Amino acid sequence: MADLRDHEPDLERLLTRLGPRCPFAEVMAERRSGEGILVERRSTTPQEQPRLQGAVVRAWAGTRWVEAACSALDFGALSVVGDSVQRSLEAISSQAPPPGESTTTTKEWATAPAHPVGELGMDGLARLGHDILGWATSVHGVRECRVALGWADDQRVYANTAGARCFQTISRVRATVIPIAMENGNVEFDFLGRGGVGGRELFDFLTEESVRQVSQDAIDLLHAKAPPTGEMEVLLDASVAGLLAHESFGHGTEADQFVRDRSYLKPILGQTVGPEELTIVDDGSFPGGWGSIYFDDEGHPGQKTLLVEGGRFVGALHDRETASLLNAHATGNTRRADFLSRAFVRMTNTYVEPGDWTVEELIAETKNGVLLERGSSGIEDPLGGRMQLKVKKGRRIENGKVTDLVRSMALSGKVLDFLRDVRGVARAPDFWIEPGYCGKGHTDLLPVGTGGAHLLSTAVVGPA
Amino acid sequence: MIPSVPSGDAAFRVADRIRAPEPWEVFAERIRRYEIHLNGSVVELTRGPIVTEGYGIRLLRSREGKTATGFQASTDFSDEGIRTVVEDAEAVARHSIFPAKDPTLPSSSPTTAAHPEIVDPVLWSQPMETLEAFVHALTSPFDGRKNEVLSFGSVRASLIETSLANSSGLRGAYEHTMVEFEAAVKAFGGPEGPPPGEYWVNELARWLDPEGIPSEVAKWCQYAQDVRRAGRPPTGQLPVVLPTNVLATILPIVFGARFTGAARLREIAPPIGSKVSSPVVTVHDDGLYPWGCFSSPLDDEGTSQRGRTLIEAGEVSELLYDSLHASALSASPTGNAIRIPEFGGLRESRRFTHPPGEAVTTLVIPPGSGGTDAELIQAAGDGIWVQQLGWAFPDPISGAFGGEIRIGYRIRGGKLAEPVRGGTVGGVVMAPPGSPSLLADTIAVGSTTDVAEQLASPPLLVRPLVVAGD
Repeated sequence: MADLRDHEPDLERLLTRLGPRCPFAEVMAERRSGEGILVERRSTTPQEQPRLQGAVVRAWAGTRWVEAACSALDFGALSVVGDSVQRSLEAISSQAPPPGESTTTTKEWATAPAHPVGELGMDGLARLGHDILGWATSVHGVRECRVALGWADDQRVYANTAGARCFQTISRVRATVIPIAMENGNVEFDFLGRGGVGGRELFDFLTEESVRQVSQDAIDLLHAKAPPTGEMEVLLDASVAGLLAHESFGHGTEADQFVRDRSYLKPILGQTVGPEELTIVDDGSFPGGWGSIYFDDEGHPGQKTLLVEGGRFVGALHDRETASLLNAHATGNTRRADFLSRAFVRMTNTYVEPGDWTVEELIAETKNGVLLERGSSGIEDPLGGRMQLKVKKGRRIENGKVTDLVRSMALSGKVLDFLRDVRGVARAPDFWIEPGYCGKGHTDLLPVGTGGAHLLSTAVVGPA
Repeated sequence: MIPSVPSGDAAFRVADRIRAPEPWEVFAERIRRYEIHLNGSVVELTRGPIVTEGYGIRLLRSREGKTATGFQASTDFSDEGIRTVVEDAEAVARHSIFPAKDPTLPSSSPTTAAHPEIVDPVLWSQPMETLEAFVHALTSPFDGRKNEVLSFGSVRASLIETSLANSSGLRGAYEHTMVEFEAAVKAFGGPEGPPPGEYWVNELARWLDPEGIPSEVAKWCQYAQDVRRAGRPPTGQLPVVLPTNVLATILPIVFGARFTGAARLREIAPPIGSKVSSPVVTVHDDGLYPWGCFSSPLDDEGTSQRGRTLIEAGEVSELLYDSLHASALSASPTGNAIRIPEFGGLRESRRFTHPPGEAVTTLVIPPGSGGTDAELIQAAGDGIWVQQLGWAFPDPISGAFGGEIRIGYRIRGGKLAEPVRGGTVGGVVMAPPGSPSLLADTIAVGSTTDVAEQLASPPLLVRPLVVAGD
């Protein structure tokens, strides 16, 4: 395919046509490329990133936004999109200006890894995948393993009638290893995964030692005990703390939920929600973060936004509209899942900043509790302020000592109670951003990062 | 050719221009999507048409006595675009290996594929007008309500023309509609009352039903009010009634991962004839279920859809196969080749971007002798009716499931009592004989079927499940 920037003249023509017909219009064009491979014991499945490209146009119709999109970038297809938008504009007579400020940024950014994964080619990915498979299945009891390796470049052009024109290429790399252990009809697995914006260095964690260890972890889970049940002390590992930051707290800071009066956090902006050592951040500019972006889909640069600072809830995430309505500034969090999806206020990389405790000190502080490891999923409750986090496994903590391995669990409770009861946040010398995908509701999945450090509090846990 | 209604011919147009050795297949879609998004009861955004037209080409190649597959997808229908896609797929195939020997793609016969109801004709002919009528029906019932409002809502309708062609002579096409609906109802009111409560609705369906909305709104408002007065559930092993909407977030994903040829290849499928559930449970998969979200005349590689029995009175009777896995395991394709990401992706709106894999269509649990909801509750005695979980997030490999109770009701003395909220409920869907599991511990199947996404089932009474509350 041609460079996405080759289509800019046609995108400009489209904006020139729509400009006189509405107070504001913008276009986002996108193209993706990449490759990946799934290696299992009996099959190898490579896949090229589909050759998809297209554009979405949004225009302010005086009282609401209207949009149309297509999966092509030739001027004929773009004209049809323009026709659709124009028809929608004709149905509404108001020429009131759009809410918020229109960006005028003109800039280009691109990830420039020293060693792009694409240089490996499918041959290199396949060789690495088979090496990992061999390491994983060499551990007695592991009969199967799913090894997924891949990279994708996401190119986006954003332009609007106010003069903005941005271009970015983001190179995302991801690797996941899932050894599956079986015994007497029981099936268990554990997982090892990393991902981020960058190149081949993101595969460095895939060593024979780390892969064999996660295989052994899967086997150990076959003999794990049932998890405890009820309210108790919970020590979250970094991955679970990251899920807490994103699912339980972060979603409530998306200011479109403020506008809808649908956030339990809206009434307490500025108030203390946790101990002084608690800081929670959303950072679209985090170097190498899986959810990092150079600019959002309104043309605002990705940036760091403090949500909780020193225990006080200080900030929310905004697009142009919520910023206008709530007397704030856009924070670079307007994101579309792709050129076919609408823009929402979305998180980027959301994390709990490390504290001063050691993990050992937090364990010693725990009398009767559970260490929750390998966060696997979570879901928000923006109005109710409740939390649901799920973990792949855990370990009992009794009288300050780690004891039995236990199976998967869910954690629940009220977020504000949980934060109030935080007793310590650990240091995290190996702090990193975990890769994940987030939906707004159940659709519009896009890449987001989470991170954190071990954190001790109290919640309800039960098997899940 | 199978179409009974005028359909897109995108796959045929591509197939006529493919210059590649056989076997190959083309799967194409033309998707027009329309959306209305609400902030409260006010329209904040209208979208449409969002037009996607694309195709995926899969090549099958013999290699070392096995099969190599190459797949690529594109939205470029030019001759050069098709040639590039074929080149990509050939390149991919060079690195692929799958333990099937000479798999057979479905041919043009039989031509008598059944046509399930999967098109909302009103929506098809007037998409945006129909969405507007639905939104009016959704927002109007709130006009007279003082203590409940709509926080937000969105309705997205896709009009999809699907076509398939392959080198064995298959030419098939059909149309279908898909609707995603999401809304949140907020309840409040009363002096010094408890904080607001919310009931969050998220549904996938084949059609829009504006006439049914007012009665649904009344139920949602009641749930939202009940959230405000809900207490925490108890802790312990309790009888739990799981209604269809909760089961729909658990069973299709686990069955799609464990009752397939892929699972058999990974040695994690239950053996045919093994006992995996209590004898009161029978489970079918029905690709022709009326208005089923995955119902269609053909599966995504052209095999005619039909019904299959996965569990008969507690025993495993059949697994689900696409062509490749059927060939590798000396079985026959069952019409379960679906182009979604493995282990999920029900809401994948662009199937043409994926090669076929195996998934359930609509799981059907036939009505049992458990009776009405009231009779199931009476049989539970002292337990919980879980109306909504935060999300069950079933683990497709181990079968573990569970989540926070967003709204449920305590069952006391065989009757529905006060609402409960918070805590967790969970377990595993299947376990070795003698171990507790949702299927093994189902003691009653209700008599009234409800449909939610990929599941048609009555509520199930499970005794016990672990509840973590107080």
